Amino acid sequence: MTEASAFVEREIAPPPARARLGSWRYVKRHPSLVAGAVILGCFATLALIAPWLPGDPLTMTPSNRLLAPGRDFPFGTDALGRDVLARTIHGARVSLAVGFIVAGASVLIGLAIGLLAGAIRRADAPLMRLMDALMAIPAILLAIALISLTRASVTTVIIAITVPEIPRVVRLVRSVVLTVREQPYVEAAIAGGARLPKIILRHILPSTIPPLIVQATYICASAILTEATLSFLGAGSPPEIPSWGNMIAASRLYLARAPWTIFYPGIALALVVLAVNLLGDGLRDRLDPRLARRM
Amino acid sequence: MFGYVVRRIAATIPVMALVALFVFSLLYIAPGDPAAVIAGDQATPADVERIRQSLGLDRPFLIRFGEWSWHIVHGDLGTSIFTNLPVTTMIAQRIEPTLSLMAITLVFAVLIAVPAGVLASWKAGSLIDRAIMGFAVVGFSMPVFVVGYLLAYCFALQLAWLPVQGYTPLSAGVQPWFKNLILPATALGCVYIALIARTTRAAMLEVLQQDYIRAARAKGMGEAAILFIHALKNASVPVATVIGIGVALLIGGVVITETVYNIPGVGRLVVDAISKRDYPIIQGVILVFSAVYVIINLLVDLSYTLIDPRIRY
Repeated sequence: MTEASAFVEREIAPPPARARLGSWRYVKRHPSLVAGAVILGCFATLALIAPWLPGDPLTMTPSNRLLAPGRDFPFGTDALGRDVLARTIHGARVSLAVGFIVAGASVLIGLAIGLLAGAIRRADAPLMRLMDALMAIPAILLAIALISLTRASVTTVIIAITVPEIPRVVRLVRSVVLTVREQPYVEAAIAGGARLPKIILRHILPSTIPPLIVQATYICASAILTEATLSFLGAGSPPEIPSWGNMIAASRLYLARAPWTIFYPGIALALVVLAVNLLGDGLRDRLDPRLARRM
Repeated sequence: MFGYVVRRIAATIPVMALVALFVFSLLYIAPGDPAAVIAGDQATPADVERIRQSLGLDRPFLIRFGEWSWHIVHGDLGTSIFTNLPVTTMIAQRIEPTLSLMAITLVFAVLIAVPAGVLASWKAGSLIDRAIMGFAVVGFSMPVFVVGYLLAYCFALQLAWLPVQGYTPLSAGVQPWFKNLILPATALGCVYIALIARTTRAAMLEVLQQDYIRAARAKGMGEAAILFIHALKNASVPVATVIGIGVALLIGGVVITETVYNIPGVGRLVVDAISKRDYPIIQGVILVFSAVYVIINLLVDLSYTLIDPRIRY
């Protein structure tokens, strides 16, 4: 920073002191950001170390069928005598992996299409009509249709959940591009003879990043929900991979006899989605003040 | 205005055509021989051949798509592979529970969410506001089937106030019909209520800062009249929009809710069709649901001029 700009900064009112990351004030100022990050961090850690934790999610012990939560099995056992706690912890692996991968993939693909639609006028109308059509198909049905014709695997599930999320990203990116395109600094860049790819990458792309980060967290939450829903409907993760959705589906008939087989994975699922949503709300408040005021 | 309505209706045609093309080509996106996939592992070559012919997979893509679209325009969605009944008949038999569930959820969600959003915006920053918005975040995060089982466990199994599952047709009386739908509608409505309440609050906050609200207060107008007549009316365009967009949530949720509560509706039909790979049914149901979504959003778009006379086309 040069001396002149430092002088100007001192003349204007001092900028509000930024709360240091990790300090108590930071927690008080951004409660949902911190709460979301902490809960999500716990689940992510459990998911990562799951293979080294005691308890086996796959061993079936018929003599231990539908045991109530107790000393040996804190979350009880399911209809096949499997440890519900171990299965719930292992279920976090599929959920979080699907959430993160879908969020990353749909943001990258949507960003590319959105930049194209926003920057090249001739591509705009056909691309947006295609996105309208994709949005008109209810996401879960679209995913079901994609999965019903292929063999159930986590990869198909990821593709099937990513496709319906793309139009939302495209619309967001395009709306940012349309606003930024009219800014004087973009006009200046064009006047300065910058080529289209450079204008897009250097001058337009950076403005799309803060809202995209927020959008990515919401997509992550919705992807985790959709994966669980698909597994619950029998069109998701294959049964040999423990996932919260197929755990609940397998226990459907035991709601009265063994509610814990449904409620523990259900609570875990709701908690993770809640954490990701809180994280998204917190990030939105920090990165996108315009939206924060409106919501 | 009339010109706009015609143009807006015409604009839905390419969207529906693209939806149809997409739903149709799904069959061809699948890796390998779709006829063999649909027939399953235990099928004989003759079965595969029969399915191939009934789906027209032995003929060129474009010709087949043309025929298929021609039939759809004439109200023929094809024939189920397993029951050999027309898909339209099968959907018609199952439509009542689905429509009932969606209608009740829609009405109750709007009746609860809009006043909640208005209240939250009126008391913005207060404990009530935070409680309502807190509920909205939780409502967003609770999976429909988890809420569904929780409600069934508490109110049906433990307290025995309401039936656990099933559906009673409207012809058997309004009361049993309604009793069976309370729990499913609550489970299905959670996300929808959260979405509408959040949007209502956001739209109201913007309107409540306007000068005419201050003017209304200054002339001594009652708070209720200010909120519901002056403010809500001007805030209702985004609310109507989100009610329309949220129908997508209802459609996705109906499929799950019908599975949780064993309701014999269109959602069950499509879930059963997945396990049997009864492709014409899957295609038909997706088309019908997408059409419902497109039509509802068309109506919402057209309603803007009724809600807000400033909007003119």
